Amino acid sequence: MSRVRDKTGMTHNSLSADLLEQLIKAATKASTTREAIAALTELNTAEAVVWLITNEATARAQCAPRDLAELLDVVVKAGLAGRAGTRAGDLAKLVARYADLAHADTLATVANSLPAVLRNEELVGAVHKTLEREPRHAGLLRVALDHALRKKEMFEAHRLLTRLGRADDSQATLHFIWRKRSVLKPTDRPPVRIALMSSFTIDPLVHYLDLECRAIELEPEIYVTPFNSWAQEIIAETSGLRKFNPEIAFLSVSIDDLVGDLGGLISGDQLEEAGEAAVDRILVAAKQFAEWSDAALVVHSLLSVHREPLGILADRGKPGRAAWLERLNARLADELQKLPRAYVLDMTDVLLRRKGGALDNPKMRHMAAMRLCGPVVGDVARAYTHYIAPIKGLTRKCVVLDLDNTLWGGIVGEDGPHGIRLGGTSPGSEYQEFQRYLLSLTDRGFLLALISKNNPDDALEVIRSHEGMILREDAFSALRINWRPKPENMIGIAEELNIGVDSLIFLDDNPHERELMRQVLPDVLTPDLPADPSLYKATVEALPQLQKLAITEEDRTRTQMYQAKRQREQTRVSAGSLEDYLKSLDITVTIGQVDEASLPRVHQLFQRTNQFNLTTRRYAIADLEAIAGDRGCRLYTLRARDRFGDHGLVATALVRSEADTWRVDSFLMSCRVIGYGVETALLATVGEDARAAGAEKLIGEYIETAKNAPARDFYSRHGFSDLGTEDGVTQWVASLTDANQTLPAWIRREVA
Amino acid sequence: MAPEDVVSRVFGVDRGRVTDATSNTTLAEWDSMGHVNLILELEATYGLSLSPDDTLTMTNVEAIKRVLQSRGAAW
Repeated sequence: MSRVRDKTGMTHNSLSADLLEQLIKAATKASTTREAIAALTELNTAEAVVWLITNEATARAQCAPRDLAELLDVVVKAGLAGRAGTRAGDLAKLVARYADLAHADTLATVANSLPAVLRNEELVGAVHKTLEREPRHAGLLRVALDHALRKKEMFEAHRLLTRLGRADDSQATLHFIWRKRSVLKPTDRPPVRIALMSSFTIDPLVHYLDLECRAIELEPEIYVTPFNSWAQEIIAETSGLRKFNPEIAFLSVSIDDLVGDLGGLISGDQLEEAGEAAVDRILVAAKQFAEWSDAALVVHSLLSVHREPLGILADRGKPGRAAWLERLNARLADELQKLPRAYVLDMTDVLLRRKGGALDNPKMRHMAAMRLCGPVVGDVARAYTHYIAPIKGLTRKCVVLDLDNTLWGGIVGEDGPHGIRLGGTSPGSEYQEFQRYLLSLTDRGFLLALISKNNPDDALEVIRSHEGMILREDAFSALRINWRPKPENMIGIAEELNIGVDSLIFLDDNPHERELMRQVLPDVLTPDLPADPSLYKATVEALPQLQKLAITEEDRTRTQMYQAKRQREQTRVSAGSLEDYLKSLDITVTIGQVDEASLPRVHQLFQRTNQFNLTTRRYAIADLEAIAGDRGCRLYTLRARDRFGDHGLVATALVRSEADTWRVDSFLMSCRVIGYGVETALLATVGEDARAAGAEKLIGEYIETAKNAPARDFYSRHGFSDLGTEDGVTQWVASLTDANQTLPAWIRREVA
Repeated sequence: MAPEDVVSRVFGVDRGRVTDATSNTTLAEWDSMGHVNLILELEATYGLSLSPDDTLTMTNVEAIKRVLQSRGAAW
C-alpha cells in the first residue's frame, strides 16, 4: 500500500476508499467484538482514527450511517483496549465529530474513559446533543452531571441526578445519586422532614425516597432510626428521632423479625399467641409515638417472606398462615384507626402493583439484614409519596380531560358517534374502566372538566346518549368543546371554577397538546399518558397529587356545587406564547404533486376527512387517477413532520386552472394537524404557483356540511372575499397581484 | 464491561483511579452499603450469583477479578 504525508503531517493510507472498505468489513463482518478488534489492530487503528477525523466528508459519503456507527464503536473499543496506540484525546475528537450518528454507548464509553477534567467542550457538547436523541441514557447523563458539577451548576446537577435516577433505578445508581446530592446545596423547594423506623436495614429506601420526593418538588430531609432500635427511639425522651421531630414517619416492622420461627412449622395456639404479641408491640409503639408527635404515622401492613410450611394443604383443618396474617392485619388496621393521624400502608397492594424483581433477596437478608431489596424499594418510596403529597398540600382539585382517544377510542368527528370504541368489551372496555375510575374521583371531592377540539354537537351527542358512556354531562363542572388552543380553554376553566391553574391536572392522549400545555401553562400538572389505553387508569392512580388525607361531606357534593354555578368565559392566551410554541416544534412541510405511490393515501383522505374539508367531494380512485393525468389540474400533497416525529401525508388540494383563474375544487387536511398552520403553507404554495403560471386570481369553494365547521372561516382568514352562495357552494376570491397568502413564520417548506 | 468499569460506576470515581489495588480501605465510598451495591451490580453485569464466601473476599479489585474468573466470567 502506498502511503502519503498530508499537510497535517500525519501519514495515512492514500487509497482512502480501500481503507474505509477494509475498516467497514472488519467492523461489521467479524462475528465478535474481539475478532473485530483484532482485525482493526492489524489495520492500525491509530491511523484509522486520524483518517476518519481528517476525511470526514469522504467517510460520510461512502458509508451508510449505520455502518459508520458500528465502525466507530469497534475503533473506540480497540483504541481503549490499549492495543492500538491511539490517544484517548483523538478518540474523543472522533466521536464528537460523528456524534450525530455514533451510538450513544460509544460516546458514553469514550467520555467515561476520560477523567472529567480532560473532557473538552466539543465532547460535552456532543453528549448534550446526543442526550436530546436519547434522553434516558445513563452513561451520558453521568458525563453531563460531571460537567455540571465541575461548572458548579447546582440546579442543573440536581436536575440531571433526578433524570439519572429515572434512567437507571438500580440500587447502586440510586445510592450514587444520593451521595452526590448530599454535597450539593439544597434546593429552595419546600422541605419535608421524614422519619423511617424499621426492624431491618432500610437504607436503600432513603435513596429511592429522596428521588421520589424531589420528583414531586420537595426537598426531603430523612432520618433513619439506628438498626434494630425503632421501639427504643420511640420511647426514649432523648432519642435522635424525637430531636429530629418528623412531619411524617413510616414504621416498617417485619413480622419475620418479631415472630422467630416463621421459617419453620410454628402453628396453632403458639402461632396465634406470637402473632398477637407482635401486633401488640407495634400498637404500643404507635400509641407512644402519637403521645409526643403530631406527625402522621404510616405503618406497613404485615408480610412474611416465608411460605406456608404445609404447602397446598394450608387451611385444611386449621387456619393457615395467610388467614393468620389477614387477621393480624385487620386488628392492626382497626386499632390504628383509633389514633388521629395513623394510617396503614397495604404492602400486599404495593406488591400487587409492582413490576419485575423480587421483594426478598435472601443473600441481602443474611448479609445486610435487608428485607426490602431491588426495584421494590422504589415502589415503597412511591407509595410513601401518596402520604407525603397530601400532607404537604400538593393535592390538586380538578382533572381536565380530553375526549377523543382519551375518554373513548377513535375520533367522534371522523368515526361518528357509533364508530367510536366505548363499551363493555375490548376495544372500548379500557376507556370504560378509566371513566369509572374518574367518576370515583368525584366522590372523593375532585372536579372533572372537559377540553376537546370537536364540534360541540358531535361530542355532546356521545356524552348525552352513548350507552357506553359512564361520565355524563353532570359529571363535569366545566366544558370547553371548541377549536381554540387548549391552554386558553384551561385558563377559562380555572376562572370559571375560581381555582388556580396550579390546582389543575390535564390528561390528553396527544403528546403535542401536552407539550403545548406544559410550555404555556407549566403550573398545570400534565402527566404523560401511555400509548396503551388499558394503562390510563394505573397511570392516573399513581399520581400522588390525587391523594387526600380525609374525605369531607363537602368533598362528596363538590361537583354538584360547581354544576350549579357553571358559566362560560373565555380568556385569551397571549398570542406570543402560542407562536413561540409553534416555533419550537420545528415544523417542516414537504409539498408536491400526487404520484403513483401517494395516490392511495390521497384517496383515503378524500374518503375519510370530514372536519377540515372545504367541499367534502368524495372522488373515487378512478376519478383521482384521471385528475392526476389531466394537465389542467393539479393535485397537491402535503407531508408534515416536527421534532416529535413524522405526521405523514396529511393534506391535499385539488386545483383546476382556467385561463387567468385558478379554482380550488377541494382542500382537505387531517384533523391530526389542525392548529399548526400547515393549511396556510399549502394555500400559499398554490397561490405562488398560480402567480408563476400567470393567473390573476384564485377562487376557493366552500360547501358547508354538518361536520366541517373547523374549515368554515378558512378563506376569510386568508384574505379572500365572499362572492356569494349558489346551490350550497360559496365562492371566495383573492387577487394574486398582491401577495396575501404567505408561509407562517414557524413553518419550513421543502419542495418534493 | 471490565470489573474496573463496574467499580468506577458504582462508586462514581474516575475510571483512571481504579486499579487492582483499589479496595474498601482506599475508597471512602466503598463502605458496607457500597459493598452490597457492588455485589448486586457485579451479579447483574456478569449474570452470575456470588456466594456469601465470595462476597467476603471481594474487597479489592484484584480479588474481585480472581473470583469472577474462577466463576467463568469474561470481559
